Amino acid sequence: MQPFFHNKNNMVFLIVIGTLLLFNIYNITFNTPMVPDQHWAQKIFYVHVPSAWVGFLSYFVVMIAGIIFFLKKNDYWDTVGLAAAEIGTIFISLVLITGPIWATPIWGKPWIWEPRLTTTFILFLIYIGYFMIRSFGGHIERVKRYAASIGIIAFLDVPIIFLSVQFWAPEIQSHPQVEMANQPPGILFPFLISLCIFTLVYILMLRFRIHVIQIKDKVINNV
Amino acid sequence: MFFILLKKELFIEFRTREVVLSMLVFGLSIILAFAFTSNVSKVIVTNYAPGMFWIMILFVSALGVHRSFSYEKNFDAFSMLISAPVDRGMIYLSKWISGTIFLTIMEIIIIVPFFKFLLLDLPSNFILFILTMILINLAIMSVAILVSGIVMRANLSEVLVPILFFPLVSPVIIAATKISSGILAENPYQLWQFWLLIIVSIIVIFALAGYTLFDFITEE
Repeated sequence: MQPFFHNKNNMVFLIVIGTLLLFNIYNITFNTPMVPDQHWAQKIFYVHVPSAWVGFLSYFVVMIAGIIFFLKKNDYWDTVGLAAAEIGTIFISLVLITGPIWATPIWGKPWIWEPRLTTTFILFLIYIGYFMIRSFGGHIERVKRYAASIGIIAFLDVPIIFLSVQFWAPEIQSHPQVEMANQPPGILFPFLISLCIFTLVYILMLRFRIHVIQIKDKVINNV
Repeated sequence: MFFILLKKELFIEFRTREVVLSMLVFGLSIILAFAFTSNVSKVIVTNYAPGMFWIMILFVSALGVHRSFSYEKNFDAFSMLISAPVDRGMIYLSKWISGTIFLTIMEIIIIVPFFKFLLLDLPSNFILFILTMILINLAIMSVAILVSGIVMRANLSEVLVPILFFPLVSPVIIAATKISSGILAENPYQLWQFWLLIIVSIIVIFALAGYTLFDFITEE
């Protein structure tokens, strides 16, 4: 297997993504309006929401890969699941870091059990267990099946976790909800551009990570 | 087939009393810790009682499901069980129902010491409290048995059960606390019916997922 970036298409994809990321930083910093009551803190939303989107998309990919792995018994789908779980957890960690950074000046405290952040946090804890079972699960073939099952049930649990947290303590969640769809075009378009760029970054990262895991498996199998 | 497997679970427990007894003793130890750490006014303890009750059940059920699967490891009994011509989903269903029965028996025994040791009054609507408790037990066990079935043959299974089980079961714990608070405060059914729907959703989703996934999880 040749290195991932020796492939011309992958190299071009990397350069395009890198350029788009630099453009995204410039666009968020200089081309988006200042929201009067939030000032610079609002800019974090251009990173926070796309990270959440990519994180949940990635966990959705883990679930789909798990289902296909069970149906086709093909190790490729286990590799996809593992790669998506790793990348999803990176982005979910970013959500859990940027959320409190935004909340501290806006809500006055870093954490108030907001339903979306709480659901993200619970999912993050489930995925810590997912990686523990990947590391300490024992027999490698069994671990693949355990991990696929956890990926499926974790995502099935998400809507119920969200609903229960939303109705759990309405009095402590009476903060203004920020709905991106209701924002003026000056905020909405840079946000959508950021969302697209983050999705492209995710696709590149996923393909790269799958490639690396495949090489690693090949080396282990040859030893 | 389901009833044969259920009979096996109940028969083993009837002979050893391992699961119910270990859950009961562990539950009593937790009540003792609660009693010593919540020496405050009766009003405050009354408000916290439903939460404390379900925290106790959460810990106790993690211990119980781990026991109910760990004896299957002795003499490689589980391998023999899955090599028999049995629908593996039925193994999940029998473990789920037997686990619910053991948890309910344990709760019925421990409910009076729980309220009396914390110097609280027993729920006025005791029958309703027990009926909702059985429904909540079904939800807790549907998650616990699935998680325990997944990690049973993994290394560090005793650590992995609570790590995976507690976050997955969090909606059940929220709903259980709300339902029990509503019954203890004698609130009308309309105020806590939403939480019953959450419990029923969990039962349906996890029972179906468990029944389907157990075929794949238990493959050799």
